[in-house]
Amino acid sequence: MIVEVKNLVKRYGDLVAVDDLDLEVMEGEIFGLLGPNGSGKTTAINCILSLLKFDNGEIKVFGKPMSPEAYDIKKDIGIVMQEVAVFNELTVYENIDYFCGLYITDKSERKKLVEEAIAFVGLGDFKKFYPKKLSGGLLRRLNIACGISHKPKLIILDEPTVAVDPQSRNKILEGIVELNKNGATVIYTSHYMEEVEQICSRIMILDNGKVIATGTKEELKEMISLGEKITLQVFEMEDTHMNFFKTMENAVSVDYDGKFLVMKFQKGNSNLEQVLDYVKSHKINFGKIHTEMPTLNDVFLEITGKELRD
Amino acid sequence: MFYHIFKYRLKVLLRSKEMIFWTLLFPIALSIFFNLAFSGLRNQDSFNIINIAFVDNANDPNFSEAINSVSEGEDRIFNMIRTDLENAEKLLENDEISGIIVSDENITLTVNSSGINQSIIKSFIDQYKQVTSTATRILSQNPQAAADLPAEIATRISYTKSDPMGKSELDIVLNYFYALIAMTCFYGGFFGVEEINQIQANLSKRAARVNVAPIHKLKSFIYSLSASALIQLIEITVFLTFLIFVLGVKFGENMGLVILTTFIGSLTGISFGSFIGAVVKGNENTKTGVLIGVTMIGSFLSGMMFGEMKYIVQTNAPILSYLNPINLLGDAFYSLYIYDTYNRYYTNIAGLLVFTIIFSISTYLIIRRRKYASI
Ligand SMILES: Nc1ncnc2c1ncn2[C@@H]1O[C@H](COP(=O)(O)OP(=O)(O)OP(=O)(O)O)[C@@H](O)[C@H]1O
Ligand SMILES: [Mg+2]
Repeated sequence: MIVEVKNLVKRYGDLVAVDDLDLEVMEGEIFGLLGPNGSGKTTAINCILSLLKFDNGEIKVFGKPMSPEAYDIKKDIGIVMQEVAVFNELTVYENIDYFCGLYITDKSERKKLVEEAIAFVGLGDFKKFYPKKLSGGLLRRLNIACGISHKPKLIILDEPTVAVDPQSRNKILEGIVELNKNGATVIYTSHYMEEVEQICSRIMILDNGKVIATGTKEELKEMISLGEKITLQVFEMEDTHMNFFKTMENAVSVDYDGKFLVMKFQKGNSNLEQVLDYVKSHKINFGKIHTEMPTLNDVFLEITGKELRD
Repeated sequence: MFYHIFKYRLKVLLRSKEMIFWTLLFPIALSIFFNLAFSGLRNQDSFNIINIAFVDNANDPNFSEAINSVSEGEDRIFNMIRTDLENAEKLLENDEISGIIVSDENITLTVNSSGINQSIIKSFIDQYKQVTSTATRILSQNPQAAADLPAEIATRISYTKSDPMGKSELDIVLNYFYALIAMTCFYGGFFGVEEINQIQANLSKRAARVNVAPIHKLKSFIYSLSASALIQLIEITVFLTFLIFVLGVKFGENMGLVILTTFIGSLTGISFGSFIGAVVKGNENTKTGVLIGVTMIGSFLSGMMFGEMKYIVQTNAPILSYLNPINLLGDAFYSLYIYDTYNRYYTNIAGLLVFTIIFSISTYLIIRRRKYASI
């Protein structure tokens, strides 16, 4: 077990930011902490890192109790904070070297590690740049390089892709997967469910400081009754047709907004086939049709009754 | 690890334009401004010999001799008339004299305003008292020494006569520059504020990064602070050199002590900044705002904007001049320049050290905590 958290409670006055959290991260995982803004992700991370005092709970990292003085634990952790935390007065190279130097004292080893980190985040052409001259995406990559250059066994990334263009975002996600393949265990927090679905092997969903569900994405989707969602682009919809769709065996909800007919079904099969058969036999004129399996948003929606998205 | 943190801290600070501006360029600019503003004043070497009245009720020959010796000759300090109290008070009322010295069981000074003249008379009396009390102590411990006493007093007094208070030396604007260099030492507080910001995880994310690294928090703070202290000491030396060699500000003979004083003052300043950084709530701008504000008030009370202020505080609220570290520092420079004895200087330095210790301990008590209630 890489990280083990039991009964963690953190209050800010009356607000319970983390409410009796249990969490276990296994070696080799990319563990996703998914939750909307204010759900307690960062607070939980800061408790795990022994930055925050907490009201109750027990935290072990690498099997040992975590504390501010646990240097043998800390030396193997890499952390990428939610906000960019670099020195504007230092170049890209110097920033990475500075933070790496807090972990690695040997100069030649450090030089190698810093170069590797720069190559890893693709900042090779920007080594001598000051952070002010970097675009938002590149700055995020620098922020990441500063946290991981010392090749930690456990990497914690707190929303590393916030406000990043899609290209940089993909590069970052690929990088995280690569770090994981090279042996690092990763804790990844985000409120973008697509990202979490894309890279995480196990996911914990948080809301208001409470754990709502934990599991692989398949397991999470199994937890809810919702099955597929079929969207049909049609320009006219008669009531009789509407009635047919609404009375289909597995239908949960059917909505038409004048352009798209959105039909949600419970788990079950051949929904799409039935819809297509009906549309063809009644010569309904339609544009596109597509079907989706439930997303983590649907999981969140079904459990909490609200959307995960902002 | 020390070298790593120290080296990068130096780089960061030296490249931080705002920091260098406040801690070096701003004081230099102010000193140039002072110099321009005072150039008229400084050139007139019309240092007046101070008119005083002496009411000798005690017939103490020692004091009488002492006051005579500084009221005779070309380089005399006082124009002294011996008279009775009634007449003396009249003279004082008509502003014909700056002060009345009355010698009874005690030696007392009566003035009706405050200013440089008054403070010089006062310092003369203080010096005399100091010499005689030393003499009394020696006597009580070693009665045989009585024979040497008059000689001792005589040398001390003659010292007073030839000391820099001679008219050509007294520079009435010096105090402004002493307050300014004291202010500059206190602007070392910018480094203190910044260092606290770099180590308290609830103040900056960079600090949070350092806090999660496998390094002792206080150690990394001390390493980082050493870089700040080095830069501040270099800057204050540059500033002092500028004041002495470019603007011709006089600091007296004892250069070693003057430099030591700037260094002690700088440490007080840095610890003061750290204290503000640790104690004041709010962001960095609020803290530097408080730092500048407090330093400015302190500088004002010690006479940086308006020279008489120092004496007004000294006469009306003497306690305030001891509670104002900037005044202690400015006064330490002043005492080094104007007195031959070090009592007043040491009192000032002791005060500064007390402040430094208070600031440092309070800072320590706050930053030694390694977990935060809120981030
Ligand atoms: N220092 C603090 N003082 C008081 N309340 C706080 C503090 N930090 C966080 N909170 C509150 O605690 C709750 C959890 O915040 P936290 O930052 O952990 O959420 P998060 O999941 O990381 O959100 P985000 O996606 O916005 O980063 C929120 O309601 C927040 O307002
Ligand atoms: Mg957060």
